[in-house]
Amino acid sequence: MEKSYLSLAIFFLLGIALPMVALFFGRLLRPHRPLPEKAITYESGVDPTGDSWVQFHVRYYLFALLFVIFDVEAVFLYPWAVSYDLLRTEMGLFILVEMTIFVLFLLIGLIYAWKKKVLEWR
Amino acid sequence: MQSMSDMDWGIMAPEWVIAIACALLIVVDLFLKNTASRRWIGFLSLLAVGMAGGWVITQFRHKSAMILDGAYILAPYTLIWKIILLTGAALVLLVSLGQEKKEYEPHEGEYYYLLLTAVLGGMIVVSTADLIGLYTGLELLSLSSYILVGIQKKKNRSNEAAWKYVVLGGVSSAFILYGMSFLYGLTGTTHVGEIQKQLSQVGSSYEAYVYLSFFLMMVGFGFKLASAPFHTWAPDVYQGAPTPITSFLAIVSKSVTFALVLIVYMAYAGPYGEFQEDMIILFMIMATLSMIIGNTVALRQTNVKRMMAYSSIAHAGYVLVAVATGNQILIPIVFFYLFVYLFMTIGVFAVIALVAEQEKSEDLKAFAGLYHRSPLLALSMSVFLLSLAGIPVTAGFFGKFYIIMGALELNHIWLIAVMIVTTIISYYYYFAVIRQMYFRRPASSDPVRVSWPMKVAIGISLIATMGIGIMPQFVLETLQSLLR
Repeated sequence: MEKSYLSLAIFFLLGIALPMVALFFGRLLRPHRPLPEKAITYESGVDPTGDSWVQFHVRYYLFALLFVIFDVEAVFLYPWAVSYDLLRTEMGLFILVEMTIFVLFLLIGLIYAWKKKVLEWR
Repeated sequence: MQSMSDMDWGIMAPEWVIAIACALLIVVDLFLKNTASRRWIGFLSLLAVGMAGGWVITQFRHKSAMILDGAYILAPYTLIWKIILLTGAALVLLVSLGQEKKEYEPHEGEYYYLLLTAVLGGMIVVSTADLIGLYTGLELLSLSSYILVGIQKKKNRSNEAAWKYVVLGGVSSAFILYGMSFLYGLTGTTHVGEIQKQLSQVGSSYEAYVYLSFFLMMVGFGFKLASAPFHTWAPDVYQGAPTPITSFLAIVSKSVTFALVLIVYMAYAGPYGEFQEDMIILFMIMATLSMIIGNTVALRQTNVKRMMAYSSIAHAGYVLVAVATGNQILIPIVFFYLFVYLFMTIGVFAVIALVAEQEKSEDLKAFAGLYHRSPLLALSMSVFLLSLAGIPVTAGFFGKFYIIMGALELNHIWLIAVMIVTTIISYYYYFAVIRQMYFRRPASSDPVRVSWPMKVAIGISLIATMGIGIMPQFVLETLQSLLR
């Protein structure tokens, strides 16, 4: 118990010390010649234009919602598909029925989105 | 281990009925033309609730059973909870169908099937003894009710109510979940029975965590019960929600939370340390505060729905008195009280819905001279209000009487004193409505139009309230024999 806290403490201290030490020595060793070009935000060599606070269109939130639904579905489907053979020997066809019910309910979600015209850009 | 497909899934039939009906109604509602009437979706929902209720009644003959490793239980007490929830849902649906001008016109279909999902969530909560099941069911109920509260999209008050409800409901869920996580951390299981066994062994050496988990969960439950000091959301939400939904929150959500409290209580019931007594003290503080705050603040309300919100806070306090004693003998009394509360509350809200619709105001003054306009309606409202107040020889009186007798046996004298005093205070605001109905001049003399579903809902509530008032002992004994 105590030992694991000790290693945690060591990691914590190391985590704080490492960037401090690196930056401190870097500051000592590097030449210091500031130019206005150097102060610009680095964007792969292109001059940055406009504000960094870009507003995204509010309509995207619907796509985000839909994405979350099917993302979660995928998360559940992957392990299910991978261990399908194992589960089947243990539980029989029930495992297929269970997932079918789950997918059917999500399908209703998709139909809902479609009928409520979420999939159209208005 | 029992194989999943060999399990007796039939005992879950009431839940399946609601779930399937819900899925079908969603699809039907989506493919219906926008202009088509959605009224019959409400009747189909009512049918589904009725079918589920009928099935639950036949299950009383079924011997107790459990599937999914005890995550789903069929026992007399789960069935009684389900009867309470389904009766409440059916009456709420009737009241909704009885409203001539719907407060949520463009979303009528959604309104009905969200009520179904909310009830489904409640049914899951009452029939499980597993923390995960409890939480899932509670969230299904809460998420559906958030939408139902805010279903009048165009009304500011409704939006405000939904916003408050969603934020505070989310916070309370987080509290409950955090508390549950400590229980799981201490015992390594999510099953309440197992937790009880484990806790009675290791509980005394990790007492701080036991206290912490219980305290966190009580904060969450306090929010969901709308019991003081966590009641502040209730008046705004009750006022902003459509009237049938207000009654749904007062009855179904509250009953479900009481079921949840009683189930979680079991987890801590193991014998160790002083914990038991401290737990009871915490419940008592909540009960006392709810009774005092609910009944005194209600005195100053002029909006009837707000007044009823405070009244429901007070009633949560009364039931908490029975829960606080932590005695198994009082469980039939809790059921008795919730049954009585169900009928009288639905009755009151049905009349409020009718009057508010006619007068376009939820003010106390809208009830002025109701007796001269529709004597029968005023008479039934008086019965419900007298019962809520607990005037002797009404159903509400016997509910309180049994709680007091139960608490007396366990020597909680000051709790009883608070209960009696606050009950007498509550007479004043219930009588304020009655005074308006009988002794004030009506603004107009046209009788209030009462549609037939409304008549059925008020009739059932009236008969049940009076029936329980006439033979309370019979009802209580029936409940006791069912639970035995």
